[in-house]
Amino acid sequence: MIKARNVVKQYGNLKALDNFSIDIPEGKVGILGPNGAGKSTFVKIALGLLTATSGEITVLGETLTKNTVDIRKRIGYMPEHDCIPDEMTGVEFLIEMGMVSGMSLSGATERTHEILGHLRMGEEKYRLISEYSGGMRQKIKLAQGLIHGPEVIFLDEPTSGLDPNARREMLETINGLTDVSNTRVLLSTHILQDVEMVCDSVIIVKDGKLQMQEDVKAIVGEKSNFIQIRIGGTKEKFIAELKKKKINAEDNERVLIVPYKDDSTYDEIIDAAIKSEAPIYEMERTSQSMDSVYRETIE
Amino acid sequence: MKNNAQVSERFRDFDANLTTRPWIVIGMGLRKFGQIMKFKNYGLWSLIVIVYLFTLSRLLLSDSTNYPCTPVTEEGYRSCVPLNYYGDILQGGMRLFLVSIVAIASGGVIGNDMANKSIHLYLSRPISRLDYLIARFIPVFLVLILVTVIPNVMFFVSMWSDNGLKMEWLQGHKWLIFVLILQGIVYSAGFAIIGLTFSTLIKKENAASAATFIFIYGASIICEIFFIALKVLDVKDADFILLLSVSHLLDYINYAIFDTKYLVAAAFTYWEVDVSGIGAGIIFTVTFAGCCGLMYWMIQQMEANK
Repeated sequence: MIKARNVVKQYGNLKALDNFSIDIPEGKVGILGPNGAGKSTFVKIALGLLTATSGEITVLGETLTKNTVDIRKRIGYMPEHDCIPDEMTGVEFLIEMGMVSGMSLSGATERTHEILGHLRMGEEKYRLISEYSGGMRQKIKLAQGLIHGPEVIFLDEPTSGLDPNARREMLETINGLTDVSNTRVLLSTHILQDVEMVCDSVIIVKDGKLQMQEDVKAIVGEKSNFIQIRIGGTKEKFIAELKKKKINAEDNERVLIVPYKDDSTYDEIIDAAIKSEAPIYEMERTSQSMDSVYRETIE
Repeated sequence: MKNNAQVSERFRDFDANLTTRPWIVIGMGLRKFGQIMKFKNYGLWSLIVIVYLFTLSRLLLSDSTNYPCTPVTEEGYRSCVPLNYYGDILQGGMRLFLVSIVAIASGGVIGNDMANKSIHLYLSRPISRLDYLIARFIPVFLVLILVTVIPNVMFFVSMWSDNGLKMEWLQGHKWLIFVLILQGIVYSAGFAIIGLTFSTLIKKENAASAATFIFIYGASIICEIFFIALKVLDVKDADFILLLSVSHLLDYINYAIFDTKYLVAAAFTYWEVDVSGIGAGIIFTVTFAGCCGLMYWMIQQMEANK
């Protein structure tokens, strides 16, 4: 989908992207990284909004140094910040965005009503955007990115500022709309659960450099053999006892995470608990989220 | 069920059949023109009506024998109806209303897009920053064409009618129609660029409108005051001070288009102005290229910094 070769983007003394090379595969791909990692810069360069200081980038088979404008016919973009004019209705805004993408009035109108139908927006689509909730504004922002039927959509922090319910609904909408329209996704975020829920593969970026590129299922599957323990007493003593048995426990503040080898691990944990006089309140085998993988990579 | 499946299939296999960039830009411009010209924009419509009423009253009072110009001095200075139209009210001109129209029409055109950040969405479409600026220039330019070219062409047709709609009169004034259109284009484009520059710089509609009005109209009055003072003091090259005002600079260009020496009406007197064309050309180029460059740079900076 996107190929970058030695891309550098420099703002004065600051290198937002430092010799960044990557082959982003087809499908739904997440770019993870802390704030200032260079995610948005990469997305904007891939969209042709910013020019790289050096290096080459190819999007959907087209080299961006040669064709930075026309490529946007094939790309949709949902920016992070609120950027919808309040004085228009949802329908008016989407039609305008469709026509600015090059659609005819009738084509844009038809597509607008189709997308808003998929978003389950009824009469509220005729209301002014200023009256919309945060979740509805995000949906309209997503819809404008898909209005012209792009081959890929770049989503920049699509769930930022949403409450947990609205976030879940937004992610389901992204999955639903992109599945039904067969659109590829490049999701830039710092929320790990968003990537887990939407993406097939993930790229982790820090300080403008690629840290990791992996299949989401592989990461989660590979790291699924863990035992989650909640104990009373002193954690330190318990962890020390486990260490004697060559078991490394990770203190996750609320719970301890211990790698599962086989069923004998349970016996060793119980033995350590007895020796350290730490009562076990809860012990269950669980799959690990991407959280620790991300932290390991970033740290 | 079948119906839903068909809808999903159409959604998946959607082909937008997108048009080309020039048509996108023209479409954007015309839609914005439609928005600006909505009847609820009472201020703008009031000013347009005033301009046309003023034009009609001038038509009723005009003398077709002296159209378009009357000699004022033996050195070649002339008083011309189409040039006076762009002058101040005391000169029988519409400058006050034209500048007000520019200020109202242009104030929010780019500024509102920047304030609500929808400019990011426009620039993520298949148009360049220059395309966007052209698309935002078109509506303001068209509004101004309505009050520059059309009233002057109406005046021209009326004069032709006064002369019995004779083809000889038309042939004798055949270049005048092109000059009138060119003159209107120069004023409309010039004023539109200044208005859009302030809209981009200030990003607040009312403040941008006020700044545009002060920059064009206020600066013209200030320059006239300094011009008169320097003339009274008999300072050499005092005439150049007038070119620091955009409206006088455009007046100078249009007097040149009319092949007439520049005559300024200030303090109830006509003043003969003599400045070199090269100097005026440099100031014109620097002013308008600077404005366009500044707008482009500001949009580029905003995009880079979110």
